[in-house]
Formats: sequence, C-alpha cells, structure tokens
Amino acid sequence: MLAFIFRRLAQSIVVLWIVYTCTFWLLMATPGDPFVGQKQPPPAVIAALKARYGLNDPWKAYLQYPVEVILHGDMGPTISYSNWSVAAVIKNSLPVSMALGALALLIAMWLGTAAGILGAVFRRRWPDHLITVGSLAAISIPNFILGSVLLIIFAVDTSLLPSGGWGTLQQLILPATTLALAYLAIVARLMRTSTMDVLHSDYIRTAKAKGNSSMRIISAHAAPNASLPVLAFLGPAAAGVLTGSFVVEKLFAVPGMGDVFVNACLDKDIPLVLGITMVYTVILILMNLLADIACAMADPRVAISG
Amino acid sequence: MRKTLLFPSILFLALFAACYWISAGSTPRRGAIVFCQDGQIHTLDPAKMTYLQDIRVAQALWEGLAQYAPHTLKPIPGQAKSWSISKNGLVYRFYLKPNARWSNGQPVTSRDFLFEWKRVLHPHTGSGYVFLYFHIAGAQKYFNSIAAHPHHHLPFSTVGIKAPNRHTLVVTLTHPCPYFLDLMAFPPFFPLDYRVMQHFRENEDGQTGYNPIWTRPPHLVTNGAYRLTDWRFHQFLELTPNPYYDQRSQVHCPLLKIVNYQDSTAAFLAYQSGVIDVVGFVPNSLGPALVRQEKAGLRHDVHVTPVFGTMFLDLNCQKGVLKNRLIREALDMAIDRRALVRHVVRMPTIPVHVLIPPNTIPGYRSPKGVGFNVAEARRLLAQAGYPGGRGMKPLRYLVVAGYPLMMPLAEAIGAMWQKNLGVRIHIISEEGKIFHEECLHGRFDVAGDGWYGDYPDPSTWLDLFLTGNPNNMSHYQSPMYDRLLQKASQQPSARARFHLMHQAEAFLVDQAFPAIPLFQVPDGMVYNRAKIGGIKPNTRLLTLLKYIHRR
Repeated sequence: MLAFIFRRLAQSIVVLWIVYTCTFWLLMATPGDPFVGQKQPPPAVIAALKARYGLNDPWKAYLQYPVEVILHGDMGPTISYSNWSVAAVIKNSLPVSMALGALALLIAMWLGTAAGILGAVFRRRWPDHLITVGSLAAISIPNFILGSVLLIIFAVDTSLLPSGGWGTLQQLILPATTLALAYLAIVARLMRTSTMDVLHSDYIRTAKAKGNSSMRIISAHAAPNASLPVLAFLGPAAAGVLTGSFVVEKLFAVPGMGDVFVNACLDKDIPLVLGITMVYTVILILMNLLADIACAMADPRVAISG
Repeated sequence: MRKTLLFPSILFLALFAACYWISAGSTPRRGAIVFCQDGQIHTLDPAKMTYLQDIRVAQALWEGLAQYAPHTLKPIPGQAKSWSISKNGLVYRFYLKPNARWSNGQPVTSRDFLFEWKRVLHPHTGSGYVFLYFHIAGAQKYFNSIAAHPHHHLPFSTVGIKAPNRHTLVVTLTHPCPYFLDLMAFPPFFPLDYRVMQHFRENEDGQTGYNPIWTRPPHLVTNGAYRLTDWRFHQFLELTPNPYYDQRSQVHCPLLKIVNYQDSTAAFLAYQSGVIDVVGFVPNSLGPALVRQEKAGLRHDVHVTPVFGTMFLDLNCQKGVLKNRLIREALDMAIDRRALVRHVVRMPTIPVHVLIPPNTIPGYRSPKGVGFNVAEARRLLAQAGYPGGRGMKPLRYLVVAGYPLMMPLAEAIGAMWQKNLGVRIHIISEEGKIFHEECLHGRFDVAGDGWYGDYPDPSTWLDLFLTGNPNNMSHYQSPMYDRLLQKASQQPSARARFHLMHQAEAFLVDQAFPAIPLFQVPDGMVYNRAKIGGIKPNTRLLTLLKYIHRR
C-alpha cells in the first residue's frame, strides 16, 4: 500500500509539471494585456509593473514561479488585486468553496444512496419511477436554472431563506442544495443499478434462506457491496465540487474559488490563474488517490499493488 | 454500507466543519450598516487605486490635506487646519492640524505626506494617477528620470514639494491649477505613516518596494474617519470608527460593512431581503424597472441622477476609413440621442452632443455641438465619396463584454447608421482586457467607451484627446488642440482658462469629431431614506461614508 502511494505521488509530480507548463504557455498565447484597464497609467508605469511581475521575459517567469512556490510557498502578488498574494487569495476563497462542496457532497452521498436503494427495492413501482424521473430531471436541468427556481421560491416569494452571501448556516442551504442535486441524481442512479445487481447474487439468496429480515438483508448485506461504485465516483466528484462551482457561487453570491478563478481568467491574472489551476490539480490527484485507497479498504477484491 | 461510506462521511463532515469555521465572518453588530458596492476592491493602496469602489473606501479610511464638504463637495480643511495660496496661484502652503493622529495614536506629520508623495512619483509603485502630480514643479522630470535611469536619477529635492517643519508643507506648481485643492482630497495625495511603512520595506530587483500585506488588517494604519478591522477577499471589509480621528464626533456608524456581489441581481435580492442596507449603484439590468416603480409611487428608495460621466463612441482617427473627418461628422449627425435614451437606456438622463456633462462644472459653459441632422449627414458622407454608404466596408464596432447596456446600444446605433446613412457595422464583443488592448493598438473603427470625471475641471475630459495621452483611445492627434490646452493651462485667471477650454471642447465636438458623445451616464443608489441618513447621491458619485448613519 505504501509503495503504491509513493508511486502515485511521484507520478503526480510529472502531472503537475505538465499541467503547469500547458497552463502557462496557453496563458501567454491568449490575447489581452493584464496591465491595461479602464484608466491607462503612463507607459513607464506599465513597464515597471511588467518588470515587477517578471512578465517582460516569459521564460524567466516560467522558471521563476515554481522556485517562488518552493522557497516561499507562494507565487507572489496577484495582478488585479495587488494587495493579495496568490496564496492569500486561495487561503481566503478555497475554504468557502470547500465548505460548500463538502456539504453538497454529504447531501448527495446520503440522500442519493438512500434514493438508489429505495429505487432498487421498489423496482418498477411508483417510488422507483419517481426516483428515475426525478434523477433524470436533476441531471438534465442546468444548475443555474435550478438555482434560480429555488431562489424565487424560497428567497423571493416566501422569504424563508436568505438569497445569498456567506457567514450563516441558513445562507448555505440553497447553494448547497443546488450544487448537490445533480450529484445526488448520479449517486442515486449508480446506487440503484448496483443494488439491483447485488440483490440478484447468491449470497443474498443465502441470507434470505437463513431467515433474515429484508431490512437487515439490505442494510447489512446488499448496501455495503452496492455502494462501491458510489465510493469510486466520490473521488472525481469531490475534486469537482470542492474547488467551487462558478455558476452556483455567482448565483448565490458565495465568495468561493470558482468565482475567483473565472474572474482571474477574464482579467488575465497570470499568477492567480496558475496558482488556482495547480491547487485544483493537487486536489484532483489527492481525491482520486483517496478514492482508490478507500475502495481497497472497503473491498478486499480490489487489490492495490505498486 | 456503514463501513463503506463511513470514511468519506467523516472526511467530508470534518472538511465542512473546518472550512466553514475558517471562512465564516462575525455576525454584524447593532447599528451596523451594510453597504454594497459595484465591483470588488482592487487595492487599498491609495497610490495605486483607480476604481470608484476603491476610492470610496479610501475616503472613509484616510483623510488628505483637504476633504470634501458633505453637500457642496467643495474642498474644506482636512488634515490641514488651513492653507494659503500665493498671489500667482503657484505656491500652496499647508498647515497641518497639531492634533491629527494615525489610527495607532501617532501624530500625522508633514513627513508622512512627503514619504507617500515621493512613493507615488516612483514608476515602480505603479500609480495610475501619477499624471495628477505633474502640476507640481519638477515632478514630471523626476518621474521620467527614474523611468529612464532607475539608479542615477534626479534627486527628490528637485521636485516642488518641501516640508520646512513637522506641520508645514509647501507645494510649488508649474502652472496655476484651480482644482489643486480638490486633488488634496483625492486618494493619490493621501499620506501614509512612514514609520509603519518601514516595517514592510523590501528590496525588489534593486528597487525599494513594500510587502503588499501592509494594506491588510491588522497592519493597515490610517488617519481618516474609520480604521480597517477585517478584510476577507471577495467577501467584505469591516470598518470601525478610528478612535484617534480628530473629528470623531462626526462619525456615527459603529460598524460599516462593505460588501460586493458579483451578480447585481443577487445584490438587489439581498437588499430586498434586508441583508444589505445600501446598494451603492443602480443595477443596469434592473434600473429601468426600478425607475418605473419609483415613478408609479410603488417604491421610494431609488435615487437615480445623471452623473459626472459621459458615454461616447471612440472613432479611430489613425487607421481605416474614419481617418476622414467628414465621415466622422456624418456618423455623429446620424445618431438620434433622444431615441437612444428613451428606448435603450430607459433611465432618467440627458442626451448630450458635448463631452463634458453640461452644467456640472460651475463657471464653465458648454459648446453646442452638432445636432441630429440626417440630410446633412448624408451630404457629408457623399462628399467623402460614399454616397448612401456605397463602397464602404462594414465598420468594426468594438464593445466590452459584461456591461449589459453596451450591446443594445451598439445594435441601436448600428440600425440608425444603416437606416440614415446606409453604413453597416460589424459588432465585436470582447472581454475587458482584450477590449482595451484592441483599443490601444487601434484595431477598431468604433468603440463604445465612457469616462467619469475625476475632479471638477474640464481638463479631466479634454486631456483625453491630447496627443500621446495613454487614455486617448481615438488616437486623435492635433497640434492645434494640444497648443490650445497648453495655453489654457498657463492662464492665471479662471475665466480666461475656462474660455480657452470652451474653445477646445467646441473644436472637438464641432470640427474634429474624435468621439461621438451620446448621453450623460445615469447612476445613483438604492436605500431607504427613513432608515439610513448622512449620504446623498451626487453627480460625482462621491459617497462620503464618514457621515453615513442609521436613523
């Protein structure tokens, strides 16, 4: 197991380097000058700023950023928000996205699993149809529409919940639900299919023959094995959800990293885009690794070898 | 199932709890006011700021030698208790208040001003407003000498800024500048505590720089009505009264929370549900509907007024078909501004044929500009060799993405040109950074643009069209125009100066047509006057947060 982890971590350094290189040169190739704005300073000021960010020589900047990260754990100040370094921006916005994402994942995981099991147990009866249609709708409706509908119902018409912002638990309910629904639907479908498969296997028949109650058969015998695909799905899902959803963050005015990232791209804030991309990559690698380890721990049939 | 999903459940629950705990702010105190701005704070370094939202906050945190009077917006004594101006209008002598204090209790001295002004004048600082310093004798030479020879430049003593003692500052100008006192209330001229700044000094490529962390709490030390107690990136800023402020009795808001919502509709929803007390702008997308409701008496909290800003079209005077002045004039004459305001803008504002919003600068008389005249426009276009628009390629009309009004404006203007002149346009929408780059390199024929005045003087607009001005997006060049403005800036008498500036503007809008003025920008605020007092929407969009309070 340890050898496997080490090997994966070593591979990830190569992955990180490739991602960094591609992002950096793509940014260099895109049009737009990060130092121009609505009021133009004199050319001498722009030249001084470019020199300060090391961007008058792309090769130097390309080599300098990784060195900065290794030496100081930071890439230096951002361009559009010069009082904030890349690390400070990430330190402020990543926890917001992560809190929202973790809550959404918890909702998606538990409600999705429960819905999936219900669907499998009541196969071809109305609870199953309801769940199938519901999950299809949740997957197909884009979250900006879903979010707006929830906003109109719960914030505008009834004023039951705040419309957005950050700081109280009530403010989390609408964005977390919006973010969770699509994942919830996927989990429900995964869980339904795998539970149906498991319910047909021999050891379930044995359990029934031994006289176990159907509640016990499902919770103790079927569900643990059926939830393995869900576990495998959680890795990449977590990486996607934890790093922030631009749409949901914008709609509910959540000051998370997804929103910062999109604006950084529009502003062509080179250090900030690079920094967030690298953090996103690291999280993706870590979550996939964790999902693999979790699967191996949960299912002895999955063998991890170096 | 317990075993399988237990591990991720614990992981996500722990992650949620930890992240939520880190990121959630404090709950607002009683009497607190939540003020929502249009746009994120870009910087709290007064030397660097150019955005309105930054300037507003800076004016709450700092105080310059002068400050704006709450109603008239005239400069009144701030950190200076008084000043004297020499007869020729060139030497300003400021006397600092002996009891002026920084938020750490230390006295504010002339050295703090000297330190910051010297820092602004260094190209390495990256000040977007450094050109405002060029009224001061020797300042431009000093700035240019550093830009050319970073290590062997002129000494700062060559600049007309002197501090004979701790409480006196003497500034010598190259030419009379009637709005110089206004500038003293403007962030690029605010002081910084030089003793505190020494802790943040660092060497950047052989130049003195300052670790940008100095602008963030708890490090930031200011001398204005408030001090900064918390700042979360893209979330909020928390301002509390500065206990050492000499006019502390005028500050009645115990806690001012400045927020920004990425989406203006979300901001407005938050206002409706009571999370926000003041929306410091009128959302473009909701503006017309709000104004309609206000007119119908359905609401009483929408305060919209035409402000000290104009929307205009930049015409590329260097490249392409619009090099021809006749075509520029024809395009100007073929736009029906009244229809634009009524059907596209749909907010209470004024269509204009001049660049400087009329009646906004006391003592300045606007020229007339050319009117809406289709027959004459057609004649001019035919004279230029394109009768009925025949033979003319579609004009590249550049708009900036993300501003809801820009696209419908372009479409309406395009339709007017097509109908009235037979001239077609090709609309290109670009993101801000690309838009500005395209404009700077002259890769456009027409560009939707706008400008807000920085100080109450015609030069804040007229300087835009000077040869080589970095903001001269039309790339307009006229030695005659440059000479006219040069001559105006040398005038000791305000009347003669305004007269020459009137001539300069008349030259632009009657003869040269580097830009087509469209309408005065409408803007304002949304707040309930019965609940919030101390602020008043004004044409300059200066919201003096010092006086804001809950009724």
